[in-house]
Amino acid sequence: MTASPSHLDLLESESIHIFREAAAQFRKPVLMYSIGKDSTVLLHLARKAFYPQPVPFPLLHVDTTWKFRDMIAFRDRTARELGLDLIVHTNEDGIKRGINPIDHAPSIHTDVLKTQALKQALDKYGFDAAFGGARRDEEASRAKERVFSFRASGHRWDPRKQRPEMWHLLNGRLGTGETVRVFPMSNWTEKDVWRYILREKLEVVPLYYAAERPTIVRNGQILMQDDERLQPRDGEKVEMRKIRFRTLGDYPLTAAVESDADTIEAVVAETINAQTSERQGRLIDHDQAGAMEKKKQEGYF
Amino acid sequence: MSVHALHKLEPSHKPQPHLEVVPNLVRELSGITHLLTCGSVDDGKSTLIGRLLWDASDLYEDQRENVRRSGRKAAGTDLPDFSMLLDGLVAEREQGITIDIAWKYFDTDTRRFVIIDSPGHEQYTRNMASGASHADVAIVLVDARSGVKKQTKRHTAILDLVGVKHVVLAVNKMDLVGWSEDVFRKIEADFRTLCWKFNFWDATAIPLSAVFGDNVSAASDNMSWYSGPTLIQHLEKTPSRVSEAGSVFRFPVQTVLRDGQDFRGLAGTVTSGSVKVGDVVVDTLSNASAKVIRIATMGGDLESASAGQAIALQLDVDIDVSRGAVLSAPEMRPVAAQTVEARFVWLSEDEFSPTAGYLLRTSTDLIPISNIEIKALLDLETMASRPARGCGANDIAIAKISLGRAAAIDVFAETPETGTLLLVDSVSGATMAGGIATAVNSKAETPVDGHFVLKRDMLANGLNRDLSMSSTDREEFMRRANEVAIILRAAGVAVAIEPPPPVDDGMDPGL
Repeated sequence: MTASPSHLDLLESESIHIFREAAAQFRKPVLMYSIGKDSTVLLHLARKAFYPQPVPFPLLHVDTTWKFRDMIAFRDRTARELGLDLIVHTNEDGIKRGINPIDHAPSIHTDVLKTQALKQALDKYGFDAAFGGARRDEEASRAKERVFSFRASGHRWDPRKQRPEMWHLLNGRLGTGETVRVFPMSNWTEKDVWRYILREKLEVVPLYYAAERPTIVRNGQILMQDDERLQPRDGEKVEMRKIRFRTLGDYPLTAAVESDADTIEAVVAETINAQTSERQGRLIDHDQAGAMEKKKQEGYF
Repeated sequence: MSVHALHKLEPSHKPQPHLEVVPNLVRELSGITHLLTCGSVDDGKSTLIGRLLWDASDLYEDQRENVRRSGRKAAGTDLPDFSMLLDGLVAEREQGITIDIAWKYFDTDTRRFVIIDSPGHEQYTRNMASGASHADVAIVLVDARSGVKKQTKRHTAILDLVGVKHVVLAVNKMDLVGWSEDVFRKIEADFRTLCWKFNFWDATAIPLSAVFGDNVSAASDNMSWYSGPTLIQHLEKTPSRVSEAGSVFRFPVQTVLRDGQDFRGLAGTVTSGSVKVGDVVVDTLSNASAKVIRIATMGGDLESASAGQAIALQLDVDIDVSRGAVLSAPEMRPVAAQTVEARFVWLSEDEFSPTAGYLLRTSTDLIPISNIEIKALLDLETMASRPARGCGANDIAIAKISLGRAAAIDVFAETPETGTLLLVDSVSGATMAGGIATAVNSKAETPVDGHFVLKRDMLANGLNRDLSMSSTDREEFMRRANEVAIILRAAGVAVAIEPPPPVDDGMDPGL
């Protein structure tokens, strides 16, 4: 006698179904791997979808050169231990021009080192489909996102070209010049991601767990001094605080929370009782009104 | 396997935090209910959804605080404006997406709810139909002052068309009719009459006030005459589609997985019924059958799997089955369809064109269409059909389709999961329409007059001269014929392909 499936079982099956549909319908897919907790779950679901076969597509990490050092170490170890084909791409032109998240507005940094870099990588390798870990619960502008999200040539997101999705039928036939972003975790919530990490005993980047770390408080947000490129300004000082991160990205753009949660159970408990929804920790979202929506139209996730 | 055994298998060198599974943290909810709300802003839709989120869900505290701090009040009351909780849902953040469905998630103590919201404005048929296709239960909202209207009839007709089985009539604004039982009973009776026409399993009317919260999550003190469940109580008891999937086993094959020489697994999701190790399964298109010897998942092999589970099946003999096949039990197969009659909701801005070159997408197959005709349009208010040859956005069209080759399709009313269809434009890839199969036939039809017919002899002597009668070559024969037809249709020529001669499939004619 089998118990009826729980909501996590159902979400997992749905994600596996989406992975398999996309792998069958698209010529050259890639998994966009951003090293964070959502990517960790996304990768785990991809492995499940094709088990016992290895994951039949490469991972792509767009490296801005500003990720936390722990993230890069985790990325390389994960790829090595799981025998994955990892592609790392950096917008070298942007680096040469000296674009960085400390001196430039977050919107410029993100456009050059993330959005442009992603487009470069997709074009360079000729990927026609890119899996991402985006969820509809993350932000208002994503609430209407499709599972198969189509991009016209130049990676533009054209609202009128988005295809209605009915039942479990996924139409991946591409028109000329079209590519697609695929979101297998569309229907997951932040709490589901943590519950699933706990249930499946997945390892995540240690930065999600609280530890004493060197910090600088800037504009009311706690930043971590991950290396010497971030220096205190007048009136600021580097102090040790027990902090952890709810999302991970470029370290000068990622605010920490003060926390004692240093085990997965404590993190899950803290998340479930959370006082603020997760994107309040992501500085690029506050940069300008409707920021996410604009970034999406330009080709960022 | 015990938890301890799992721990022993963990590689010891990983710097992993100590994992002690705490049951109440891994709170797995008993299932997911997809909830569609139909109605207009005037009926109080936003307020009702906001009230559901406020009362029943595990909202983040900052979201509650935003509502309190805004000082905005629900119209005519001293209560917070709950509709503020809908952020991405309402049209104020219009993105211009043609078919516009927003998704919002909340948990009660026992269930995950997914609110599917589509705009209620005039072009709503296609929006609502695509939203409703995902719904386990629909709340049809009416204003107690006006009761069941024409729009209510259209809403229930669309719900029925796409296979929603559980409907709740939320009779809102009971405060504005003096909490009158007579008013409610009259509306409830009208709703019952309306629902007799449809195939709902459960249609329940609930009197409520979204603004004051009566019968949303808390029983109403103002309507002591009502002894039924609150809206939330009712929704929590409503089963999901996947849990109510029929007992007929269906397994659309998505892809074939290989692992060395030993493993060839057919990957897919069980869409209805169940399968266990030792079962004989058949592919209705090739008539090949085999026994299931392994049900593989990364979490470990299973003895059986049922609707909703994503698995890989290993068979005892290597039958030539690949993507597009639908495995079933030998005695309860889908039809190897050559022709399909279907009802479509027209989704595209572009009108139907008989010569456009459409493809038919089923669960995992994409099939060339050799001929498609619109027969009639359906009036959702009267459910009467009138003859027609064309259709456009928001129309419900009755169509007849001849397929370029056989495909495994079920009648939607019997086995809904494998009876759903999309019409796809072969050139742009756009989804033109979504529909349900109402009749499927394994016999091909002779092409109709007025079409240029691509004769098989003609093709065999020229384009396909290099092909033999082997099964792969016959497949290639049809592929080329369909490509030619698509090119000709794009040039404006009405084309039909002469159907292949019937193949002796070795089946007992009595089956």
